[in-house]
Amino acid sequence: MDYGQVVANGLMIGAVYACIAVGFSLVWGVLNVINMMHGSFIMLGGYLTFFAWLHLKVSPIVSVVPVAVILFVLGYLIQYLMINRVVTQPVLTTLTLTFGLDMILYNFMNLWFTATPRRVALDLGRLDLGGVVLPLDRVVAMILALVLTGLLYAVMRTSRIGRAIVAVRMDRDAAALMGIRVNQVYAITFGIGALMAGACGALVAVVFPITTSVTGLFLGKAFVICVIGGLGSVPGALVGGLALGLIEAFAGFWFSPQTAILTGFLIMLVLLVVRPTGLVGRRGYE
Amino acid sequence: MEAKAWRNGIGRLAAALVFGALAAGMAHAQTIKIGAPLALTGGLADEGKKQAIAYDMWLKRVNAQGGINVAGKRMKVELIEYDYQTQEQRAQQLAEKLIVDDKVDFLLAPFGSGHTKVVAGVAERYGVPVMATSASSDVIFNQGYKYLFGTLAPNSGSVENLIAVVTKGIPSAKRIAILGREDVFPKAMATVMSDAAKKAGLEIISLEYYPVGALDLATPIAKIRSLKPDWIYVTGYSKDLVLAKKQMADLNVTAPVVTMITGPVYREFIDSLGPLAEGVTSASWWHHSAQFKGDDPWGSTKAFYDEFVAREKSDPDYVHAAAAAALVALQKAVEKAGTTDKAKVRDALASLDIVTFYGPIKFSANGMNGGRDLPIIQVQGGKPVVLHPESIKQGTLRPVK
Repeated sequence: MDYGQVVANGLMIGAVYACIAVGFSLVWGVLNVINMMHGSFIMLGGYLTFFAWLHLKVSPIVSVVPVAVILFVLGYLIQYLMINRVVTQPVLTTLTLTFGLDMILYNFMNLWFTATPRRVALDLGRLDLGGVVLPLDRVVAMILALVLTGLLYAVMRTSRIGRAIVAVRMDRDAAALMGIRVNQVYAITFGIGALMAGACGALVAVVFPITTSVTGLFLGKAFVICVIGGLGSVPGALVGGLALGLIEAFAGFWFSPQTAILTGFLIMLVLLVVRPTGLVGRRGYE
Repeated sequence: MEAKAWRNGIGRLAAALVFGALAAGMAHAQTIKIGAPLALTGGLADEGKKQAIAYDMWLKRVNAQGGINVAGKRMKVELIEYDYQTQEQRAQQLAEKLIVDDKVDFLLAPFGSGHTKVVAGVAERYGVPVMATSASSDVIFNQGYKYLFGTLAPNSGSVENLIAVVTKGIPSAKRIAILGREDVFPKAMATVMSDAAKKAGLEIISLEYYPVGALDLATPIAKIRSLKPDWIYVTGYSKDLVLAKKQMADLNVTAPVVTMITGPVYREFIDSLGPLAEGVTSASWWHHSAQFKGDDPWGSTKAFYDEFVAREKSDPDYVHAAAAAALVALQKAVEKAGTTDKAKVRDALASLDIVTFYGPIKFSANGMNGGRDLPIIQVQGGKPVVLHPESIKQGTLRPVK
């Protein structure tokens, strides 16, 4: 097997990883909330996409938008009604709250959808570039993931709400003094985190079987990516996602599939010691 | 007033009914008690529930027929179930409680080899016959337990049949690539395949395991592509196998023979893969398309299947069937012994030789059901088709396109 294929595999899964992590990273960075619901949000997005495709024949590429909107509303409400009440408490309090909420959401999904794996049977075929095979659905997912991540980056840099989020992240009290409604910004940020998870779920539904049993796996990946790339920034999630994708692909190729996951965690540990800010540091708040 | 009179009347009627039922109960005071520690919550909840469904189906059937025939007298059966929450310690405690407190006559082991071993240890100490419904690893049955009997056949049996079917159908399939999940049963099935294939003179060109937490299988599958195997053999659970087959198609990886253990056995595998499932072979302990006529409360595989589908709105798999079959074996052993005496029923189990809806049941010396020719299946035209054994064959092996 040539290296071209290894790199292609790594980049394709890496873009999806970036998409998985970016919402999680944003919420963690801005709110200092470790959202344990992130994996379940992704799967909920996946299920909404699956049922839209199954019953209404809506292509996942189209349902990304409504699914993302639904998740935004859900995330906004959860933050506004619940997490905002304890958001200034130590991180363990909010972690416990989101952990509890995740158990509720997870069990409801288990009840409604069951853990039986399902799949959006949308096989678009593949591109063959001189021996390097690219499955088209993964290519589409990769492009969409990059577009979504880029879009979030643009929103954070240029829009009023984006600047407000960054301001709150830099200094909550100063932002409040400047007339920013902090609670509102928190709710919108959490909403955006959920929106990214939902959109990512729509992409995941195209490339992976969807089942409730993988929610923890997504959450774990988001953690590793955030630590590798750097917390709270869009480029951090992107770099972390692509890096993890490539690390796993090469470790799996050179050694064995078991070593792939191990290597990801090892590099995470090394980075925690050597460069706790992650690869793309915290040079500034974008 | 009228309402009061009514209520009064109903009260009297209820009292009469309760009294009548009590009296009837006295007449049938002797019931056979069977104890079952079940994983109804926790990690194995899905499997535990499958067992509970099968037990309940059997119980209703048997009691509707008046109970088990013990030396000409019908004895009703009472099933005592406790949730051991997928915790080994609790399984052990509950097995002891069932024997000592509830005074059960027989025990049913929980799902999986590990917890079966724990419960079998307790049962052995008290001399209570215990039926294993879903343990297929030899290590449980080579402990010298005399009271343990299991309805599944050893892992190696299914693999040997598979190799026989493939080498006969597609003799050119000589080079095998194995990809297994690093997990108790899937890993055992990969190792057993590797050993059996070598013994059959086939070549294992790669044997790799992927970890339980693998989200993506692109790398190991792309590796297999460069080896150009004649036979790709993957083990795992439905989610892994759906992903593996999809990524094989994505990366243009295929072989004349593609086996997935135990994917095609489950309906969701075929449903979610659609045309991609076509041609995949598998082995199972039981499949509902393997029809048997048997001497049991159902009488035939079809009757069991129909009742299950009407009740659960889905297809039964081997877990359901093996659980119900364990109770059938116990029932037949009690009938044969003509008593509920534990040691005598144990001897009757050891010499049992019957055919049921589940297939033949005949325990070998170690207590495992050895008298079974395990079915080999292939997905053809979107449905699982039995390739082996000859007696229930529905089609012949086709190379994967």
